[in-house]
Amino acid sequence: MTAAGPVVLTGVGLALPGVADAAALPGATRAAVRAAAPVVPADRLGRRGLRYVDRASQLALCAGRDALADAGLLPARDAAAGAPDGPVDGAASAGVAVVVSTNLGNLDTVCQVAATIAERSTDRISPMSLPTASSNVTAAALATRFGLRGPNLTFTNGATSGLDAVFWAGSLVTAGRCRQALVVGVETSNPVVAGLRGRPVDELLDGAAAVVVEDAATADARGARRLAELGRYARRAGVAACVQRVLAGGPGAPGHWLAAGPAEPPGPAVPPADPGLTAAFGPASGALGVLQCAAAVGWFAAGATEPALVTAGSDADDAVAGLLLRPAGTGPR
Amino acid sequence: MSWLIAGTGAVASVGGSTDEVFAALRAGRSGLAPLRGFDPAKYRARSAYEIDDRPAPGTDVPGRATGWLLRAVAEALAGAGLPADLSDVPVIVGTGLRELRTAELGWQAGRPVDPADLHFGTALRERFAAGWTYTVANACAASVCALALGCDLLAADAADTVVVAGTDALTESMFGLLDRVQLDPPDQVRPFDADRRGTLLGDGAVAVVLRRADDGGPAAARVRAVSMNCDVAHPTAPDPRGIAAAIRLAHEQAGVTPADIDLVLLHGTGTTLNDAAEAAALTDVFGPAAGRPLLTAVKSMTGHTSGGSGLLGVVVAARALATGWVPPTVGLREPMPEAAAFRLVRDTAQEADLRLAQVDAFGFGGVNAVAVLERAGAPAGEGGAP
Repeated sequence: MTAAGPVVLTGVGLALPGVADAAALPGATRAAVRAAAPVVPADRLGRRGLRYVDRASQLALCAGRDALADAGLLPARDAAAGAPDGPVDGAASAGVAVVVSTNLGNLDTVCQVAATIAERSTDRISPMSLPTASSNVTAAALATRFGLRGPNLTFTNGATSGLDAVFWAGSLVTAGRCRQALVVGVETSNPVVAGLRGRPVDELLDGAAAVVVEDAATADARGARRLAELGRYARRAGVAACVQRVLAGGPGAPGHWLAAGPAEPPGPAVPPADPGLTAAFGPASGALGVLQCAAAVGWFAAGATEPALVTAGSDADDAVAGLLLRPAGTGPR
Repeated sequence: MSWLIAGTGAVASVGGSTDEVFAALRAGRSGLAPLRGFDPAKYRARSAYEIDDRPAPGTDVPGRATGWLLRAVAEALAGAGLPADLSDVPVIVGTGLRELRTAELGWQAGRPVDPADLHFGTALRERFAAGWTYTVANACAASVCALALGCDLLAADAADTVVVAGTDALTESMFGLLDRVQLDPPDQVRPFDADRRGTLLGDGAVAVVLRRADDGGPAAARVRAVSMNCDVAHPTAPDPRGIAAAIRLAHEQAGVTPADIDLVLLHGTGTTLNDAAEAAALTDVFGPAAGRPLLTAVKSMTGHTSGGSGLLGVVVAARALATGWVPPTVGLREPMPEAAAFRLVRDTAQEADLRLAQVDAFGFGGVNAVAVLERAGAPAGEGGAP
């Protein structure tokens, strides 16, 4: 079973301070984000089932739930805010994969547990921390809460991790390993993360972004909206080498370049870099790539007709990932 | 379709290369030793399966998992006859604990940790000029999930060669949390034993070079298929139904039936729950053929090498297929009742004519991955036609 057609985005969900939906992402500002209250997952999901769930996973559940609902994959009764979550339709759940990107999500638990053992002993640590010592805790929480039995992957791949997760979600669909894939990029800010990175706590992203990807034919057959179409992807050392590969062979120059930070366009076909998401939310690490894809959806919703080039990582990182997203009309192109 | 395993590399408590590791396992030598890197007074468990490469006893250093990974990848490339230049070759690293030990040490010393050193792309870039790299943190199924992704890149024609790897060093948080829940800690890992008391972690790294089957050349074995799924049952406990579904999916994708499988490399962690769930799933899927394949659990000698353990099973299975020798499950005194019908290899290595092997890997969060391997050069027989 191999899908032949394009892979499309059919749902977006966000758990971010100060921004409610994809349409508002392109206009997000640092001032508005700083003025906004942190996301309170219990307000969005209800308290049930959150007690022993780490904050990164809670944020991911908020964004993931909204993306599944946006894609029309949650039963209608569960789509209303505050209602308890039901699983994705039983028959469909084996066909839904989960792909999470996070670099820092469980660092606070890991470091605090290790520090407690070093100071005292294992008697002083809580066994409830056991799942969170494993870096796939968030992907597992998403699968369990929404009943998603497909492949379940966690990328902790540094600066490019979010875009890598979107690529691999598309790859799982194309390989026939799932019908849909829920992709969530999440990071959380806390004293451990801030201390290890040497940055103030309020400078780092504390939030999540999620998208749903599937084969265009699958989306059309079930009447789902196409929000964007995934184009070429590459992960290579350096911005120039990456962008060159992404843009090789068309289909035309991008109209917008969503970048991780300020950068010189690596060629005449590339418009000026827009590092607005990092400026607004702070360094987003593993969440960035998914956040960028959500912003591209907002960009297309506002009427953009040219492809959007998205890159995560810089020449200072081990590599740069790039992905071309195209606006996707309804029906086959 | 199937993919050639053109080269392998391995580093574990029992040896520093594929040859050394396989020789040790075939001889039934265990890497169990008193706990070296952490203060034993803090733990109930006093032993682990560590790689003895620290500068001094009780002195832990950052970056060990990364160092072994580079060694294993270099060995696999050399074995495949490839240069140490991965600028256009994808590298997919499965890991349970990535460089979290480096983060723990940094936090305790009040020292900043560069986030770039928590994943493996940074070191792979420095050593092999690699840019197309992934760190997949999929708990104890990670490196077999990485193998699945590597096969998908080859199937999609995105690459002709892929390096798949796994690596893990003990973290104090994971060793400690397991210690917290294993109140009567095991003296050693005893997979599928009636009196098994839990698992003990081990250090290790492993790598394979996968190539398109039509590239020819010598190969240890072929990968026929790798399945992935998720139990959605419990954060840490396995679910036999999810495991059985993953095994069935792997057989289906490989085009084989349970009766075709000659060897099963068990996930076999030595915990009460894992081994019971794995035995139930095997009994369910294999049915009347449950007594046919040889079964073994190398964690009895390497300890639980976390995310890298599944791919270590792949490398051991490839050697077993090539040599006909299956390493024993050491320390097995009385098989658990649920495994009474199984042909567990005990005490000493067993020789057999092997064509198809299954490798199990299951992790926290209910993530399951199962690989089916075929002996290179084996004639396609019944149930074996691709």
